[in-house]
Amino acid sequence: MSTRQFKPLRLGRLLRNRELGLTLVLLALIGLIGLRNPAFATPGNLQFILGDTSILIVLALGMMCVLLVGSIDISVPAVMALSAMTAGIVMKNNLVQADTQVLVDGALTAATVKTSTPLPLLLLLAAGVGAACGLLNGLLIAYGRVLPIVATLGSQYILYGLSHLISGGQAIYRKDMSDAFIQFTRGNVLGFNSKVLIMLAAFLVLMAFINYTRYGRRLYAVGSNAEAARMSGINTRAVTLSAHTIMGLLAGLAGMLYASHDNKVTQDMAMGYEMYVIAACVIGGVSVTGGVGKITGVALGALTIGVINNGLTMLRLTGNSEFWKKAIQGAVILIAIITNVYIKRAHERRVLRERRL
Amino acid sequence: MASVTGKLPAFLRRREWLLAILVLLTYFLFNAQRPDNYTFPKLLNQTRVYMVDVGFMALGMLLVLILGDIDISVAATAALSATVMGVSYRGGEGLPFWAAVLLMLLTGLACGLFNGLLVIRFKELFPMIITLSTLTLYRGIAYIILKDQSAGSFPAWYAKDLGYGSLPLMGLEVPIMLLCLLAVLPFYYLWLHRTASGRRLFAAGTNLTASRYSGLHTDRIKLTAFAMNGLFAAIGGFFLTSRTGSVKYTIGTGFEMQAIAVAVLGGASTSGGRGSVAGLLLALVLLTALKNGLMLLYNDAFILNLSVGLLLILVVLIPNLFQALADRRRILRQRMQLAK
Repeated sequence: MSTRQFKPLRLGRLLRNRELGLTLVLLALIGLIGLRNPAFATPGNLQFILGDTSILIVLALGMMCVLLVGSIDISVPAVMALSAMTAGIVMKNNLVQADTQVLVDGALTAATVKTSTPLPLLLLLAAGVGAACGLLNGLLIAYGRVLPIVATLGSQYILYGLSHLISGGQAIYRKDMSDAFIQFTRGNVLGFNSKVLIMLAAFLVLMAFINYTRYGRRLYAVGSNAEAARMSGINTRAVTLSAHTIMGLLAGLAGMLYASHDNKVTQDMAMGYEMYVIAACVIGGVSVTGGVGKITGVALGALTIGVINNGLTMLRLTGNSEFWKKAIQGAVILIAIITNVYIKRAHERRVLRERRL
Repeated sequence: MASVTGKLPAFLRRREWLLAILVLLTYFLFNAQRPDNYTFPKLLNQTRVYMVDVGFMALGMLLVLILGDIDISVAATAALSATVMGVSYRGGEGLPFWAAVLLMLLTGLACGLFNGLLVIRFKELFPMIITLSTLTLYRGIAYIILKDQSAGSFPAWYAKDLGYGSLPLMGLEVPIMLLCLLAVLPFYYLWLHRTASGRRLFAAGTNLTASRYSGLHTDRIKLTAFAMNGLFAAIGGFFLTSRTGSVKYTIGTGFEMQAIAVAVLGGASTSGGRGSVAGLLLALVLLTALKNGLMLLYNDAFILNLSVGLLLILVVLIPNLFQALADRRRILRQRMQLAK
């Protein structure tokens, strides 16, 4: 069989790109849902989805680092809860309320202004707490030789417990939040939601780190063959440790976004969210055995889940859409993952066929 | 089994001893704190709450863990099976109760089989990912069936005698549920540790490729393990429902993690090839003693989970650290000999 025919064709080469396949699937999904409900495919709604999915993307980026080195982290929501709770308590304790007058529509109106610790400091604190949790997970896994699932299962219990302990059973509500924090994920900068901006920043920084630095490439080295990586002088334990720390840091940050979005911090915040994060990575083409995965794929995978979530609401299947969303989400994600496997298999077959000269 | 020190004979190095010591420590510690409320008979009574349903789920989970796989959908399977039972019985207006129970067990078996089929069909996806999505799927189906309603009004012998009844045995009131679990254990033990088909699980879990080349039908073994796991999950759901008296689609949320914790505490490893029934039983007893004591002292579910998490990590971490120390010492000794 003549196989040279593939080489000169630009299109064939493009189609071999897995990310492109995923983009097509995503566009098809948007088109199909848009056919059923035209309100879905409007720029406004798509931007809303992007904002809604930002938290998931930030977390999936961190999870990708962890999966790349062949580890896994199911304590993500607990890290989010603990970080947001710590920052929330600091914010609550430093809250100052002042009655002032604000200009609304040309008339002075009485208003209460709530100020507290500056927002950047709070974000830094949450990210720090998150990074510490990630570091702890990494220590257990890399140096304590505890299997990742067991270690992070244990730390999930522990961190949720800790966030309950430090809060004394009290959730943080809107009344305990400073205006800056409440407005944090609602404000628009340059036409974009601040969640989107933070997500973009995280995405660009991680893309530069993973694709263009020596340290970033080591994630792949450790994940594809830990023994070979060790023999070639890479400190595999330090790499695993740093992957978990990055995950923790991003989870801390995402916890703040989640809290500001929801306007509350509870002790069981985001429980079960780790499933969407892992599913986003798997749909995005990250292998759970480590060493395989691209950062653009992960972002697309998370967006696919975001579109599915939002689309299930917008589809307006019979009557109560929230009901259907809850009911068939699992099936939809399962189908997405399995479709992904078939695309991957077809792709591998084609590569093999082309090699047989 | 991870060796704690190199000198002890293999029999004494088993994880079970560590667990047994922890059980005694926990008991005497809480007994000293609350001598009136924390006593053996009361603890025995509480096994109904902390031991039986999770215990059955852990028995199934152990099979999957021995294979080096994991199943996160067990609690969802239990919820779906219990839902099927509740809806088909319909408070006495539907099927007869025995048929509803049979249907429930079949549902569990089907859920497990579906997991198993996906696992052997899509080897590039890990069981963790597959069962993560079937978890939402099964709970989703339960939600479609029941919506926000609950199904109940079960026969009195089921909701009352089985759920809360106990038999006088040697001067102690032993919950009937516990007796059911204890009755299953010997058969389970004999099958897993003493028959060829049980040992094959360990073989496949230790080295899947080698087992396949030596003629084991590894796919069939995996399928059987997942199916049995589903069945055990349904049995767990059966006892859970008899304790709660009614079914909602949220029943048993988070139990999968408890089942994994019990199996891992008992000596199973998520990388496969390890696990023991005696260890599992001791881990169940330990958790029952610990949870009951913490509930008495703090009455707080979060503190309870926090201690379970700590215990899980410590019981796995401590032998590992000793092992690392022993390895380092051995390497140093070898280097010294080479230097001579």
